[in-house]
Amino acid sequence: MALGDLEREIMTVLWETYLPMTVREVHQELARERHRDLAYTTVMTVLDRLAKKGVVRQIKDGRAYKYAPMQSRAEMTAALMMDALSGTPDQDAALAHFVGRLPPEALRAALEAIQRQG
Amino acid sequence: MTALLLGALGLTLSLIVPGPLARAHWPDRAPAAAVLLWQAITLAAVLSALGVVLAAPEELTRALGSGKPVAAAALIGALAVAAVIVLRLLVSLWGVSRRSRARRARHRLLVDLLDRAEQRQELDAGHVRVLQGNLPLAYCVPGREARVVLSDGALRLLDREQVDAVLAHEQTHLRHRHEVVMESFTAFYRAVPAALRSRAPLDAVHLLLEMVADDAASKRTGPAPLRGALERLTDAVPLAEEVMPEEDSRRRRTARLAAPQRPSRMLTGAVVAAAVALLVLPTVILVVPWLGQALAVWPL
Repeated sequence: MALGDLEREIMTVLWETYLPMTVREVHQELARERHRDLAYTTVMTVLDRLAKKGVVRQIKDGRAYKYAPMQSRAEMTAALMMDALSGTPDQDAALAHFVGRLPPEALRAALEAIQRQG
Repeated sequence: MTALLLGALGLTLSLIVPGPLARAHWPDRAPAAAVLLWQAITLAAVLSALGVVLAAPEELTRALGSGKPVAAAALIGALAVAAVIVLRLLVSLWGVSRRSRARRARHRLLVDLLDRAEQRQELDAGHVRVLQGNLPLAYCVPGREARVVLSDGALRLLDREQVDAVLAHEQTHLRHRHEVVMESFTAFYRAVPAALRSRAPLDAVHLLLEMVADDAASKRTGPAPLRGALERLTDAVPLAEEVMPEEDSRRRRTARLAAPQRPSRMLTGAVVAAAVALLVLPTVILVVPWLGQALAVWPL
């Protein structure tokens, strides 16, 4: 399995569980619910990478570390969409090319509505 | 005289031409050539500014009959100012592209993590990502590892043909490296003093690049699916009030897709010729004769 897919699966586990998890718990969840038979150290390495990238928080719990996502999936999605939309020439070029360019104010309102639901 | 003429040319190109050209509708029939014309206008304005900076002190000292030391000082000053202008443009370009790259890399990382891979199995395109959310969105993130991003709201709203048209549209942006064009115009905009710059080129070029991508997608899927996708995507988000510039650019794009015209070879040729002339003629008519005179009395 490619590293990118692995990172995505582990994030999905963390997002769905909601509570901070130890490496062992993530490892078990992957094996039980998703039938991914991965080495314990692989899971640990990936969690560490995700923490370095700033998308996962490391929480010290006694002697072990627990891991939790920095933001919920809905929050992170909304923030990502905002990032794609923002960009004025006074700052920088727009990050992305949109098919139908929509006014940012309209989208901002829509995204805030989504965040309230999520 | 050379400095005055170049100054007039530079001001015309940066203050007078952009407005009417951005409003004109004939570029819609030759969008790629029109992008080239905008690039030529911008570059010619920069070259004119450099010409003024280099020619004005020389012409002034020659007209006043100043001695060699004064002429030498004027020349050194002129070269320094010209170097500052060039440097400012390069630094701006470097900054814009560096920041865009970093932002896109971060965006790519997050979009890969948030991807709902199970929702795009039938799309069989390796670099497509699907975000969860009702807001209908379709965009691409350019770069070495480019991504095309769709929200599942967009997937629900569009039929299969429309999704293919949207993907073809975005892939054209990526294949033609449209982000580089936009970055260079943004960098130029940021480097120019506020009194001399205008947003018109940025917005016009953005719209023209959309038209280039529309044309490529139309060639693949026919114009109807893309037009349908555009209408559905925009109509899905209710607007508090009509936003005129956006409305206008959308109308121009859908009008082109509704009544596709053959790309005009003549117009394309004429526009390309104008772009080349804009860069070559001022150099030949104004700069070369001046350079001949100036080098004859070179003070250093």
